[in-house]
Amino acid sequence: MHPSKNRHKQWGQLSRLAQFDAQLLAVIVVLAVIGLAGIYSATLHGANPSFFSRQLSWLVLGGVSFFLVAAGDYRWLTEKAHLLYWLANIILFAVLCFGKEISGSRSWVGIGGLGGQPSEFAKITLILMLTRQLADFGDRKLDLKHILPLTLTALVPIVLVLLQGDLGTALTYLPILLGIVAVIGFRLRCLFVSITLAILSAPVAWLALKDYQQQRILSTLDPSIDPQGIGYQASQSLIAIGSSGLHGKGLGQGLQSQLGFVPEIHSDLIYSLLTEEWGLIGGTIILSLYLMLILRILWVGERATDRAGIVLVSGVASLLSFHVVINIGMALGLVPLIGIPLPLLSYGGSSTITFLIALALITSVYRRRFLYSQI
Amino acid sequence: MAFPQDNREYIRRIGWFGWFFSILVLGLFCRLWYLSIVRYDHFLSLATRNQIRSVPLVAPRGEIYDREGTILVENTFGFDLLLFPYQVIDPKKTQAYLENAIDLSAEEFYERLDVGRSYGRYQPVVLKQNLPLTQISYLLARSADHPELEISERPRRSYVYGTLGAHLFGYMGEISANELSLDIFRKRRAGDLIGKSGIERIYDAELSGRDGIQKLRVDSLGRTVELLPPVPPQSGESIRLTIDLDLQKATEKALEGRVGAAIAMDPRNGEILAITSRPTFNPNDFSTRISLSRWGNLTSDSDRPLQNRVVQNTFAPGSIFKIVMAMAGLEGGLLNPKETVMCSGSKEFFGHRFRCGARSGHGRLDLKRALQYSCNIYFYELGRRLGIDKIAAFSRKIGLGAATGVDLTGEAPGIVPSREWKKKTTGMPWFAGETISVSIGQGPVLVTPLQVALVLTTISRGQFVQPHIRMDRNSHNVQSFPQEYLKPIKDGLWLAVNDSGTGRAAHIDGMEVAGKTGTVQIISRTTLEKLPPVQAAKFKPNAWFAGFAPMDDPQIVVAVIIERGGDGGRVAAPIARDIFQAYTQKFFKTPESLKLAAGR
Repeated sequence: MHPSKNRHKQWGQLSRLAQFDAQLLAVIVVLAVIGLAGIYSATLHGANPSFFSRQLSWLVLGGVSFFLVAAGDYRWLTEKAHLLYWLANIILFAVLCFGKEISGSRSWVGIGGLGGQPSEFAKITLILMLTRQLADFGDRKLDLKHILPLTLTALVPIVLVLLQGDLGTALTYLPILLGIVAVIGFRLRCLFVSITLAILSAPVAWLALKDYQQQRILSTLDPSIDPQGIGYQASQSLIAIGSSGLHGKGLGQGLQSQLGFVPEIHSDLIYSLLTEEWGLIGGTIILSLYLMLILRILWVGERATDRAGIVLVSGVASLLSFHVVINIGMALGLVPLIGIPLPLLSYGGSSTITFLIALALITSVYRRRFLYSQI
Repeated sequence: MAFPQDNREYIRRIGWFGWFFSILVLGLFCRLWYLSIVRYDHFLSLATRNQIRSVPLVAPRGEIYDREGTILVENTFGFDLLLFPYQVIDPKKTQAYLENAIDLSAEEFYERLDVGRSYGRYQPVVLKQNLPLTQISYLLARSADHPELEISERPRRSYVYGTLGAHLFGYMGEISANELSLDIFRKRRAGDLIGKSGIERIYDAELSGRDGIQKLRVDSLGRTVELLPPVPPQSGESIRLTIDLDLQKATEKALEGRVGAAIAMDPRNGEILAITSRPTFNPNDFSTRISLSRWGNLTSDSDRPLQNRVVQNTFAPGSIFKIVMAMAGLEGGLLNPKETVMCSGSKEFFGHRFRCGARSGHGRLDLKRALQYSCNIYFYELGRRLGIDKIAAFSRKIGLGAATGVDLTGEAPGIVPSREWKKKTTGMPWFAGETISVSIGQGPVLVTPLQVALVLTTISRGQFVQPHIRMDRNSHNVQSFPQEYLKPIKDGLWLAVNDSGTGRAAHIDGMEVAGKTGTVQIISRTTLEKLPPVQAAKFKPNAWFAGFAPMDDPQIVVAVIIERGGDGGRVAAPIARDIFQAYTQKFFKTPESLKLAAGR
């Protein structure tokens, strides 16, 4: 092959590197704007007025991170994944020892005025670590002996975050592992073994839960338990959404949410507020945007040129799907309130930046969709 | 790192992932649809109740005036402490706070909380009325911590003259579950104050007005965020009574320390001028929630101070009934007023010996004299002649044995005995001897003081009138009575007061009073004589006096009963005289009375 011709061809391909996935970007931007609108509305009554500007600055910070990561090569990150992974775990351990306790869980770390939740960023390092472990895996289905090390990889941050007392975040690591294993494929006996293990460990897990966590689960199963207490927040969210109707009550008019009946309307339960104000139409638009987001991520996965790309895409897609389904399920009273954010809509620095980095990884995969298969 | 040759497997599984997620999103959409569209109304009402707190603005009740426009019952405003039961999160905490702040006992707090919860979720319950200023400022300073409490300015009933006219006005109280189901209270809600008796009860619908409402938008902590435009309360209608305050005062004073009742009425139109029952109570005690001990005292008192004896109690009319007998005899043509009867102190009828009040006898008497001296023998003879059926028929005709329809609560109909009545109530036949007892108002015949006043009204002007207390009520004089029958009776009643008759203690200079006494044994005379004097004092006869004035143009009728007071002429007549006196001084301006007044 003629070198110069080859170089020319490579340049042609390199020019495509500049391309970002416009559709994915569009969905991200629309969601971020909707989130800002929701947070703005929340600040009209009750919520701290600085939340809006802070979220805006995090979106900027997240945007910069997004372009840096998306411009980089995910394969480089995958190769260094073990370093990032252990660094993250060490920080999680440090937080456990020295972290600040906020609303019952010790998951916050701060230096000076800056602070964050390392457990959010650990989602990325877990995805990268699992990708590294599976990158050179052949064309086989996963067997128990392959799944065990993967499980251990996931268990380290899960246990650390559980010890911090943050059940919700710890739970989000699990679907990352499950999603990746499901896409790569596994032998049937793995399923039986894990189901058996899950059933056996369930009573232990139940006892390990804090009282209020047990109560939340019980009150979701039966909302009539103590409507003024634990189930109160969940039932108030239902009232907010149920009283919205087709068009909703309008921006700033979501009084059910605004007057403090629904807790955490700027963060975990922002979907209640947005739906109360924009009605069935608004709620459906948000659902559709998430559907578009996930399907676009999967579309990128179908065009990935190496196994690492596939694994990355399945990890990120699982993580986001889990957040979306569980969070909106909470607002709609289908799932106990476990306190996990709605991607790109909920207020929060660490989570917003984490989701943007995860999407940057997808973009990185997208940008290299032609490179390796044709070389 | 090289990508596997065959990535179709992965793509297929990614496709499944996509479908799986799409189905979950569809599920979420269905749930969203269900909540926001299907159950919209349900959740909307929940949201509204969540955010809106309704504080009732209690309408002031209508005022009550006497016939001359003097105010008798009004409203004063005070600050009441309201509790919103559904806002109470920790009853123990609220209770401890209230015990400290307004000295409310734990028992009372929980009792009120239970009552409030029974009202339905969103209605407040009154914890304490008429808070003193120090407590108001204490509560206001801490109101942010206790959104379940609200201080509201509310009207309270005030009876200007205290116990005066207590039975007439009645008293207020919280509506009971029973009363809530009554049709007249269909617009009322649990917790409302209503008139429990008297004028307050009868005219409750007019007096009560319409409560307004102040809706507040509150946040989840119950703090007020916004005041919505209030619906102002509409005061109740004021009522003017036929009562004359001065006469009422005189009547109250005349009955002081007695157990009994008195009523004064205008025979021309049935307007009641004064109405008093003793013992009495202070209706102001009921304007704020009455304390249990005070309520206990009122209800356990054997003299029953809450009863309005003028209409709610019935008594044997005794000799007063002789007036009815005389009318019955004259109307039926069985009695000639000139005819005389010989009284020798006692006489035998149907195998029993009946006695007269005067043991040695009155000698020969015509109707006038028989009424003047209240001779029993004369009326025994008349009763024997009439028979029970004619007596009963005529008694009913002039309104005995049935409620008069006066605008007061709990009116008793009284009893007019007859053959039929006895058969129905006891299953026994009527004995002729009983007719003789009934002839002098003893035995089973029972009347209210109001009915007695009405009999005197009929006599005095020869016409029936509808007794009433509210001024605007039209009175129709239904039926007239032939004057010629009445003349001898009226003459007899005049003689009784003005010519050393039984009612001479009711005599007033310058005013022609006519009337009749009654003295009704409540146990037989022979039993009474056997009792030691202390015991005997408790079983003294009931004393009656009923009369009208002036003789030639009657303008006032008075009926008085003193329970266990003794002789009617000695006990009841002087009380009636005081009432006539008060009336004369105020209203009756004859040339003589003016001369008398000038001479003083």
